[in-house]
Amino acid sequence: MTSPPRWAVSCLSVASVLAAWELAPRAGLVDVTYLSQPSLIVRSGIGIIATGALWRHAAVSLQEFFAGLLLALLIGVPGGLALGSSRRMRRFLDPPIMALYAAPRLALLPVLVVWLGIGLASKVAVVFIGAVLPIVINGAAGIREVEASLVLAARSLGAHRIDLFTKVLLPGSLPAVMAGVRLGVGRGILGVVVGEMYVSQVGIGNQIMQLGSSFQIDQLLFYTMVVSVFGLAATTAVRRLEERWRPWSRER
Amino acid sequence: MSHIEIDDLTITYETADQAGRFVAIDRLSLRIERGTFVTLVGPSGCGKSTLLLAVDGLIQPAAGEVRVDGTPVTGPGRERAMVFQDFALMPWRTVIENVRLGLELHRWRDGDPDRRAQRFVELVGLAGFERHHPHQLSGGMRQRVGIARALAVDPEILLLDEPFGALDAQTRETMGYELLRIWREQRQTALFVTHSIDEAIVLGDRVVVMGKDPGRIVDALEIDLPRPRTLDMADSRQYVEYRRRVRSLLGPGDAAPQAGSA
Repeated sequence: MTSPPRWAVSCLSVASVLAAWELAPRAGLVDVTYLSQPSLIVRSGIGIIATGALWRHAAVSLQEFFAGLLLALLIGVPGGLALGSSRRMRRFLDPPIMALYAAPRLALLPVLVVWLGIGLASKVAVVFIGAVLPIVINGAAGIREVEASLVLAARSLGAHRIDLFTKVLLPGSLPAVMAGVRLGVGRGILGVVVGEMYVSQVGIGNQIMQLGSSFQIDQLLFYTMVVSVFGLAATTAVRRLEERWRPWSRER
Repeated sequence: MSHIEIDDLTITYETADQAGRFVAIDRLSLRIERGTFVTLVGPSGCGKSTLLLAVDGLIQPAAGEVRVDGTPVTGPGRERAMVFQDFALMPWRTVIENVRLGLELHRWRDGDPDRRAQRFVELVGLAGFERHHPHQLSGGMRQRVGIARALAVDPEILLLDEPFGALDAQTRETMGYELLRIWREQRQTALFVTHSIDEAIVLGDRVVVMGKDPGRIVDALEIDLPRPRTLDMADSRQYVEYRRRVRSLLGPGDAAPQAGSA
């Protein structure tokens, strides 16, 4: 017997969770006030979209996210590649980078607010700090993990510093860079939402916070799902790019 | 003047433990005539691959020197090209792009690099596989790409570092004869490292036997078998005698004495 296709299993899994969720309050097993219901979430979602609230808040969040991510790419990609290429620089910068990577960056939020205010800039900074580190760390690792024999072969064929970088080290580390970008995207999304929850007057995170304190679970869950779907879409897009640039591992 | 002259070459490596230096090659001298196919055979750790890297200019000697056409080698050069045991193909490049790599790096101006790469892809029998990536090819086909990449830059010296060591016995034998077919047309000076006695005799005009601790030349013998070499030569009395002599020069130890064994 052949097993059913993967997407069918996934759909079935999602459908059964939704069905159980919808039926449990109806059967009186749980209180709908605490758990909400898929149908209620859809209804409140339609309301949020119709009033234009979704777009108004999402626009702010997206702006913060993409500005922070763009900054992280502009600084993280060259930074990571440079770090991977120079042992001296690595020795010098590794401890602070690792400390910052492990630090709870949201604890820095109050400091960022003091520096940058409660507007756009502080959230852009949170996204940047979250996304830049995995990009730097993966980029540096990518350079170092390019096989030594490839470097030897290129040198044998006459490659000097710049050619070695553009024709071997850069393409060889691109997959690792993209894996870092994928991690960075996830951390960046988290940064926007949590940043807005604490210091903002608009944005999706701010909405989630307000809805939570007024106990409007239907709408809160709708916004949460919007964030999840966006996160899934963004990381899938990055993964697609990764695969396009790494054809040799796709068919493994 | 010989094509390649190696004089009192000593190569040492830093060792991680203690403050010692490991002597990979100790005062080795060798002359290689233009257009000859010389095979280097010896046990693991005798420095045969190190010697090849030094001739290519990828590592610097602690003492002594390598000269090509009388000029000391200080780094890689266009007149020398290397074929690696693990193929060392760029996985993100297609077959033709890999073959073109050396032409790009040497800023090839003598005709269209793409046409030239195509010619060498065809020479090694990979026509139709130009757009494939290395991971889509078998080991033997990958090494054909490695050979084409080396030949494309029009080297006078071909350095082959156990090029068929990662292949199964049958493919290995086929590739050996393929290499001879290609070499017959081009007639580069070839320096071929192996630890298979049979491979050394079948391919070489001269077999240089190396020993280890420290790496040095034990002896060399001329292989006076007619070319083109064929499979049934391996049964001739002459061949069997060469084989016996190489084996006795290698002495007891961990050199692989079996045909085609890696």
